[in-house]
Amino acid sequence: MVEALIGDEAFIKGCAAIGAGLAVGLTGIGAGFAESGIGAAAVGAIAEDRGFLGIGLLFTVIPETIVIFGLVISFILMFAFG
Amino acid sequence: MLKPEKMVKIAIIGSKEQLAATSEILYKLNMLHIENPVEDEHFKIGVPFEKAGHISRTLLQIRSYISYLKLDPSRISVKKKFRKADIEEKLSAKLSEYQEQIGAKLEEIRRINETLKSIETEISNLEPLKIIGVPTKLLKDYKSIRCFVGLIKKDPTEELKKITSDFDLIIKEYEDLFVIAVFVKAEYGEEFFKVLQEYAFKELSVPDMEIDSRIAEIEKTKDELITKKGKLEADIEELKVKESELILAIEEHLSMEVEKAELPLKALTSKHTFVLVGYVPEKEIDRFKKEVGSRNLIVEQLDMDEHEIPPTKLKNPNFIKNFEILSKTYAVPKYKEIDPTFIMAIFFPIFFGLMLGDIGYGLLIVVLSLYLKRIFKTDGWQKLLNIGLASGIVSIIFGFIYGEFFGPFIVPGIKNPNEAHFFGDLLVGLYDFNHGHPLFDRVEEFGVKVLLFIVLIIGMIKMLWGFSMGFYNVYIEHGIKEAILEKGCWISGILGLFCIIFGFSYNLGIFTSPPHDGFGKILPENLYVFENTVKEARAVPLPIPGLVNGWEAGLNYFYLVALPLIVIWFLIFLKAEIPKMGVFGVIMAVELLTWLGQTISYARLLAIGLSSVYIAFVINYLSIKVALEPGMAIFPLAIIVMLLGHGVNFLLGILDPGLQSLRLHYVEFFTKFFEGGGKEYTPFGRVRKFIDEGGE
Repeated sequence: MVEALIGDEAFIKGCAAIGAGLAVGLTGIGAGFAESGIGAAAVGAIAEDRGFLGIGLLFTVIPETIVIFGLVISFILMFAFG
Repeated sequence: MLKPEKMVKIAIIGSKEQLAATSEILYKLNMLHIENPVEDEHFKIGVPFEKAGHISRTLLQIRSYISYLKLDPSRISVKKKFRKADIEEKLSAKLSEYQEQIGAKLEEIRRINETLKSIETEISNLEPLKIIGVPTKLLKDYKSIRCFVGLIKKDPTEELKKITSDFDLIIKEYEDLFVIAVFVKAEYGEEFFKVLQEYAFKELSVPDMEIDSRIAEIEKTKDELITKKGKLEADIEELKVKESELILAIEEHLSMEVEKAELPLKALTSKHTFVLVGYVPEKEIDRFKKEVGSRNLIVEQLDMDEHEIPPTKLKNPNFIKNFEILSKTYAVPKYKEIDPTFIMAIFFPIFFGLMLGDIGYGLLIVVLSLYLKRIFKTDGWQKLLNIGLASGIVSIIFGFIYGEFFGPFIVPGIKNPNEAHFFGDLLVGLYDFNHGHPLFDRVEEFGVKVLLFIVLIIGMIKMLWGFSMGFYNVYIEHGIKEAILEKGCWISGILGLFCIIFGFSYNLGIFTSPPHDGFGKILPENLYVFENTVKEARAVPLPIPGLVNGWEAGLNYFYLVALPLIVIWFLIFLKAEIPKMGVFGVIMAVELLTWLGQTISYARLLAIGLSSVYIAFVINYLSIKVALEPGMAIFPLAIIVMLLGHGVNFLLGILDPGLQSLRLHYVEFFTKFFEGGGKEYTPFGRVRKFIDEGGE
């Protein structure tokens, strides 16, 4: 039965879609984790000195690259199988 | 434009008597960036002129008035400048006037505030006494009886009874406490007091007269004081309206005088002479020499050696100057470095527009920037808003290309544009010249694919560009050999990476399949090394031996070009790292993957935009459904959904593209070539705002 499924195009498409979702979702969680620490530190610094606002925001978005990687992977999956 | 202004190092030598005059002329020229001096056995750092102390004290006083009056020089547009001579003439008269008009009045207001505070305390004391309901003249100690009046936490009767039962007690609730009056024989006074204290007793002072009349009296005084205070404040306010410019002018004048008087702190002095060392922009040096040299001072041009770090004065046209606040936030370029502001001024708005790309949001940004420009007059805000203006305009242009006005009107899966957008038909009409389609449809699958490809190409170009500038910077500072070892090898490495990305895309059929799967026949069908393997090639994106059977099928010419580039990179890399780091330096080669990551990171140019497009679409779709669907026609709700949704999306649309565009510059671009750490050019002198130079 499993072999029959693997040959099925709809099954492959479904798996690709799940994979694409996982790629974005899990990287999102990863980026969230990374940003939480930076964000907390940045808010601390901003509380001391408003001048850190720009730099603090900037540092906070740095781990967002991880999501972008996930997104690229999901695009490739969707292009290849979707 | 790309390099900071050229500087010349000079020394000014003169006799000590001339120092005051020198200070005047240098301050007026506002050209010389003075180096902080280092003492030696013959030359010591000078002492400020005598008047400095006196001026500083006056300045402090004026500044305290300014801070009380909340005068903000950046918010005042100057109508008429004051002449310096006038200011000097009026100075002492005005100072004593201000002392009288502001200083004395402020002092009086402070006293009134204190009295008011003590009155408040007294009133809060009297309130509970009123509740007890015993005339005040009875609430006091008698010959043989003690009387305690005050606030207490709990009823102490039980505890008091243990001492004696012969006492009188009145207790009433007051807020969350009790107010209490206890009368007891004087001999038990001490013991009672101790017990009361255990219940957190707080004594209240009892006035001599009746409470009501006392309260009326106090209220009367309070009203009088408040009127008086109001009058004083009105006086000060009146003065503020009339004199604010003059006060700020005096402040400017005094700060200038202090700065001038403190020049000796930056000079080295011997018994009779002084030396000042500093930098002047090269193009100004002739004028500088002429002006200073004519005053019996010696101006000597000094040679700069390799290790000297002159100050950095950025040299940019007006429009680009706006972006200096962005590049300086990262770092001030070193004197010999490339100044990246120019590049940022071009790419920041483009990246922003590429991401946001919406006529509606762009227009909002432009309108908002223009409006705020009239409110916030400070230099920093003006620059920031100019950047906003440029970014908004580019967003409108890209919005037109993408065909978006507060969201797209053509969305895959929705046939009728009116279901995706309130003005669907109108927008279709606008794009009539293009068969009712936007010039570039980034929502559709093929559009996404093309845009992804375009932004990756932009990424590759910027990576290469960054490394080339890094190469140039190192070449200028350390010579060609270092430049090749440090930056050149990475150029070869990332070129190899790019070839691998292309090879990968080729195997996926991006360059050979017709649109929707790929770009059509951009490249020939068969770029494979083993020519008979075209059919199987698609299954093997990366030709890694041992990974898949028939890996050689996926081996195209891109990979073939990549191989030597990577080998060249690796060899040079080893040559550079091994002497520095030893054998473990090899591990550093992993860094190549970082560059791959950073190239792919440019995909955010696509991703951020797409997310905002879809949010906008969802908001439109929702509100159309709520407003027009039969049985759901709740128009006001639709309006709320729309305003709220687009409001949030607009905020995200400013914040995210702005930050990400900044980040693409700071992290992915500047790190390749920009070290920073220069010191900014701050000449001795200042640009006067309130005082006319001609009046000197």
